[in-house]
Amino acid sequence: MALARRREQCELEIPTDSVSDIAFLLIIFFILTTTLNKLSGFTAELPSAAANQQQAKSDAKTPTVQLANGKLLFDEREVSMAALRERLLDLRLANRQGEERIVMLEAAGQVDYQTYYEVMAAISAAGGVVAIVEEDE
Amino acid sequence: MKLHKSRRVAPAVPLASMGDIAFLLTIFFILTSNFAKDDTRKIAPPSAGELEELERQNVSVSIDSEGAMFFNGRPVASPATIEAGVAGFLAGKKAAQDRLVVFRCDKGVDKKVFEPVLAAISKAGGVIAAVGEESRSATRN
Repeated sequence: MALARRREQCELEIPTDSVSDIAFLLIIFFILTTTLNKLSGFTAELPSAAANQQQAKSDAKTPTVQLANGKLLFDEREVSMAALRERLLDLRLANRQGEERIVMLEAAGQVDYQTYYEVMAAISAAGGVVAIVEEDE
Repeated sequence: MKLHKSRRVAPAVPLASMGDIAFLLTIFFILTSNFAKDDTRKIAPPSAGELEELERQNVSVSIDSEGAMFFNGRPVASPATIEAGVAGFLAGKKAAQDRLVVFRCDKGVDKKVFEPVLAAISKAGGVIAAVGEESRSATRN
């Protein structure tokens, strides 16, 4: 029948009312998962362990920092952390080249990462290159 | 004479573009986000003076307060696994900036745990970017 043909055709529409809700939920997710804090620290390229051991044995003049049972030693003399920083700055390591920038770091006994980190940061800040001397098992 | 009352139009906030704005913001956050690979809740960072700002890197190694080791957020059993993983990631990279490995370690961890890990990263050719907190008292010393 003609009446049936005239029946208005419903327009097909994608429901978009909730699109903004979905988008805002995504925004909230990204705000919560984004880390806005910046990393701070220092960078250190450690020479290989084997080379360190050889360096330690062959070159006695290489400045050495030792951590042993709560004591901090620089060239076998006990120093405070502040004094260590000054001693390292006095060496003007930043002006040196290659292996002359190496500072040996030797830890024995129980040493926590906080102390180790402070020493490594002091060496890096003075322009030195940290070389870890691993304890023999 | 009767004046025709003007029809009052109900005030409506235009919401049609809200979805577009929201999606633009979403795209912005997607592009600028850095998804945290490591669960740093169990890591109390050490503090020191004279620290510099570090750039985020794709390779990260962390040790939590219990001494558990993680490579890119996944638990690993030994420093040897870390060495192999770091070497794989850094293959073909020569510039020091490209070889940075973010290293996080709890400040209370003993050297017997973290020292082999540091050695493993350096053996694999990585440059250690040791994460810590700026200590104001340390800079005054």
